[in-house]
Amino acid sequence: MTTLSDLEAQAVRNRPAFGEHAHILCDNLVRIFKTEGVEVVALQGLDLLIEKGELIAIVGASGSGKSTLLNVLSGLDVPTAGLAKVAGMDLLSMTSRDRLRYRRSVVGFIWQQTARNLLPYLTGHENVLLPMQLAGNKRDARRRAAELLELLGVADCAGRRPGELSGGQQQRIAIAVALANQPEVILADEPTGELDSDTSEEVFGALRRANRELGVTAVIVTHDPTVSEQVDRTVGIRDGRTSSETLRRTSVDGDVIAEEYAVLDRVGRLQLPRDFTNALDMERRVRLELERDHIGVWPATPGEENND
Amino acid sequence: MNAWQLVRVHRGAAAVLALLALTASLLVAGLPRGFEAAYDRALVGALGDVARQQSDLLVGLRPNFSEDELNDQSEFTRLDTEWRKVLPPTLASAVIQGGSSHQSAKTYGTPVSGRIGSRPLPQQYLDLAWVAGIEKKIRYVEGRAPGPATTLPSVPGDPDLKDLTLFEVGLVEETAERMSLPVGSTVLLGNSYTIAARVVGLFEAVDPTDRFWDHNLEVKRVTTRPVPEADEPDVLGVGVIPAVDLPVLDSRRELHYSWVLPVEPTKITARNAPQVIQDILDYRQLVEQQGERNDTGIAQIPAARFELFTGLDPLLTKFLNDLRTAQTLMFLILGGLVVVAFGVIALAVQLLTERTRAGLGLARARGASLAQVAGAGTRTTVLIVVPAALAGYAASYLVPGPITPVVHVSPLILVAATIAFAAVRLALTHRKPLRDTREDLVAPKSSPRRIALELLVVALALGGAYLLRTRGLATDVTELGADPFLLAVPAALTLAAALITLRCYPFPLRLIVRLANRRRGAVPFLGLTLAARSRGATSLPVLILLPALAVSVFGALVSGAIFETQRTAAWQAVGAPARVERAAEIPEDVVAKVRALPGVTSVLPVAKGTVQVATGGGVSTALAMDLAAYRKLVAGSPLEVPEPPVGDGIPALVSANLAAYPSFEIGWYNRMQINNVGSIETLPGLAFESNNLIVMPYEGPKLAGLRTFTNVLLIGGNVDYDVLKRTVGLTDAVVETFDAANTRIASSPLSQTITAAFTIVTVALAGYALIAVIIALVIGAAERARSLSFLRTLGLSQRQARLLTVLEVAPLIVLTSLAGLALGLVLPAALGPGLDLSAYAGIAVTEFPLTFTTPILLAAGLAAVSILGAFGHASTGRRVATALRVGESS
Repeated sequence: MTTLSDLEAQAVRNRPAFGEHAHILCDNLVRIFKTEGVEVVALQGLDLLIEKGELIAIVGASGSGKSTLLNVLSGLDVPTAGLAKVAGMDLLSMTSRDRLRYRRSVVGFIWQQTARNLLPYLTGHENVLLPMQLAGNKRDARRRAAELLELLGVADCAGRRPGELSGGQQQRIAIAVALANQPEVILADEPTGELDSDTSEEVFGALRRANRELGVTAVIVTHDPTVSEQVDRTVGIRDGRTSSETLRRTSVDGDVIAEEYAVLDRVGRLQLPRDFTNALDMERRVRLELERDHIGVWPATPGEENND
Repeated sequence: MNAWQLVRVHRGAAAVLALLALTASLLVAGLPRGFEAAYDRALVGALGDVARQQSDLLVGLRPNFSEDELNDQSEFTRLDTEWRKVLPPTLASAVIQGGSSHQSAKTYGTPVSGRIGSRPLPQQYLDLAWVAGIEKKIRYVEGRAPGPATTLPSVPGDPDLKDLTLFEVGLVEETAERMSLPVGSTVLLGNSYTIAARVVGLFEAVDPTDRFWDHNLEVKRVTTRPVPEADEPDVLGVGVIPAVDLPVLDSRRELHYSWVLPVEPTKITARNAPQVIQDILDYRQLVEQQGERNDTGIAQIPAARFELFTGLDPLLTKFLNDLRTAQTLMFLILGGLVVVAFGVIALAVQLLTERTRAGLGLARARGASLAQVAGAGTRTTVLIVVPAALAGYAASYLVPGPITPVVHVSPLILVAATIAFAAVRLALTHRKPLRDTREDLVAPKSSPRRIALELLVVALALGGAYLLRTRGLATDVTELGADPFLLAVPAALTLAAALITLRCYPFPLRLIVRLANRRRGAVPFLGLTLAARSRGATSLPVLILLPALAVSVFGALVSGAIFETQRTAAWQAVGAPARVERAAEIPEDVVAKVRALPGVTSVLPVAKGTVQVATGGGVSTALAMDLAAYRKLVAGSPLEVPEPPVGDGIPALVSANLAAYPSFEIGWYNRMQINNVGSIETLPGLAFESNNLIVMPYEGPKLAGLRTFTNVLLIGGNVDYDVLKRTVGLTDAVVETFDAANTRIASSPLSQTITAAFTIVTVALAGYALIAVIIALVIGAAERARSLSFLRTLGLSQRQARLLTVLEVAPLIVLTSLAGLALGLVLPAALGPGLDLSAYAGIAVTEFPLTFTTPILLAAGLAAVSILGAFGHASTGRRVATALRVGESS
């Protein structure tokens, strides 16, 4: 006799595990900030899959959990529950030694405040050298630092201190710093938040170059449309969950076509955009109907409401 | 990460930390040296004040048999070498060669039994003395130096006395005169085994102040000894004989040999004094053990009983007792200073940690391990603190004084504690990389565990203070030195007070906020609200301000108590602003001259004498004086004078032992009948406390049929000691003034040290308190600037912003000052039984007079200085409006 668990095992056996091949994997990720008596749930079961070498943008309103997600991915914060894996390393079960190694060699990151990314009393070159020195990678460090600065177009700023540089130059050096230890992933938290649009373009260009030429997976949290509209995939986060994804492809005639999708999670949950639900006065319950090629969603009829 | 680069980048904070480490190191290494030097000065003073007879070592022998007799000077010299050879090491280092070292052989109590050629005088004694090296100390003014003894074949008028040993003796002029023994006179000495002595020369001391004479006072001058029931005293003289007479100076007389081993006071210090006491004990045993059983001892003289005479060990013991109180006080104030100094240094370390936080935090986020980050920060602290502390330690060598282990250890501990604090603080700050605090979360409440711990500390402190008050110290301070319990209680009380202040200061604030809320101005309300909310960052300044003020107030109280008691002691010693006293009557013209002196407001004549009381026997001190005038004279001083006696006959106030007799007779030049009309305990300055006292009106002797007379003058007003002494002009009169007595009492090295130490420490603590407030403000500056910037955008003026800053810190400073003041006032009461200040006052200090003026001024001053510091910081700080930049608030 087949039991229920046998059936479940059979169902899973021939299918790959969720996000098995993803470079960054978040499955039902939860992060709760807790002090006595007060809890703030910043991530409420977030799912995210990012392939190796991808350049994606994460957008969302203030307080939606973007920065928390980035802190988790950068190894600076530990999630409360769920699964988070980057380059095969489980962020929940890492020891502090693993975490240090992870920060040294797997990820690099860039913050929004230009001044916060660099040590003000070191030159651009010294700033790039610092992570390599900290990690003990002293061999070829100078050459690599020079190469990175060259790649990002700020070779002329190598001998100058951050105070003598423009915001854009500082951010590009910050990208070089993030790339110093040859990470597999770079994470950027609003890297263009303090910059004007031209400079933003430069900085984003530098990020894209790093992504394309070095093959680094890049995750950019941003509000900036010049950034979010130029990446292949934009993930929207709402209330601590991934709510939508926008995919962009270039059409045959050269136009960029953006298509926005709602995200269906592993257990079949779907977040409907608030505009849609408001427009149709959808509340509490909806009616679903399976059609041949789609699922229809209807507001509950008044009669049914009354029967409630 | 380059630590030197961090020092250069954060040079402001580094300079503050370096300066603090330097001064703290200088204070903790220099002050103990100064203290030790003062202790040593006090010891030298204490030993210098007494006669050498008390401070030197004297090995004595009373030979009983002819075998014990030493017949040659070389034997004395040999034994001197032996005595010196067996001195224990510490004592040996203090005993000097030469100086007043000498040996002597002296007879004692030899009566003059007859004179050849004249009538013997009664009650005369003439002893013979050989003193090694005396020939260099005296000069013959008449006759010649004595030669060897001869034989007197017969004594005219006494056929029984034949072939007597005749000593040639030299006498000091005074003795010759008093005993009527001119050169050439011969006396018979001793009632049995009679010998004879002929005076061949009269001498005087070359240097009468030579400490050599301390041991041979009876040689230098004539001694009189009062005899009970006799009109005239005994007269004792000493005749000097040469060394060749030693063989004939036999043990049938009361003969004493002595070896004087002089002690150099400067070689004994406060530190080796206990060892010297122990050495004296050991040495006494060594000297006295000899002659027991078959042991012939060091001297190799069988049956000789040597003894060690010295007052050095009790002198040192008394000094050490006085010293212990001083050390306890010093320990308390130094402890307070160290705590405060370390607190401020910790605050400066915190400032440095805050300044390096961003850079080190970034490095940590970029892959630096905790060890790398904490290591870099700690190396920075080491680079700053170690050279500064070394400089302070080196500078402490400019302070004169002996080097004790504490001089090396305390800067070391300070540096080690600072570095450890920096390491721990850095490790805690950077334990988690870039731990961003979420500002939308409320601050965590105190855990019940912490509250329980704080309650425990408070309970322990109060319990300790209570036990110390009720039970006193388990150990005797005078025997065992400072009790750790005594030192732990103030520390615990300070901690408890700090905890209570930190916990409770929002409560009074709330009240004030409520009042401020009713007023129209928003600034007071905002400022006080900010003050009530800024809890976490304020604990260190509280922990610094509180002990700073407590120690200062405590110091002021102790200084005040010492000052007051010294004044009281001076009043008690003199009995008036000035006093002239003489055994004989003071002539009228002298009284008139004194009265005419500028500054003298009144002169009170007093007759004072020792009288026989007919009833019940015994003697009393009688005073005839106008008590009403005396009351007026000493009004406003600590002296208490009773109302004058009123009644029939000769009314008098009498002390307790005579109180039972309503009337009695005394003999004071005449018999007089005294009517007891009241009691009197003491009249300090006029009579010793132990004396029985009879106080009658000034006219008392006149009423008894005599005349009034004056031998004591009590002088009111302000008169200079030298002027008064010159004016009185009587060599046998004792002149005392209050100022002179007070200066004498106050100028003892120990009390001067205490006063100076309290002053230095109070100034240092005030400086530290100011620095603490400013550093605390600087640490919170960025945060404050941000919140002020928001308010500036809402229309807050620069002046209002300044006021806001002051209002934000003022309540904490004021409340902490009040708590510190209260604690400082409570400390003397809490430590009461453990602190004996008698040594500094000359009399017992029974209670601490609670003088509020100085402590309140101190608290107010410290609070004002701190608030002014805050105001200064607020005025000179960066312009707040520039602090707000787009995006920085998120």
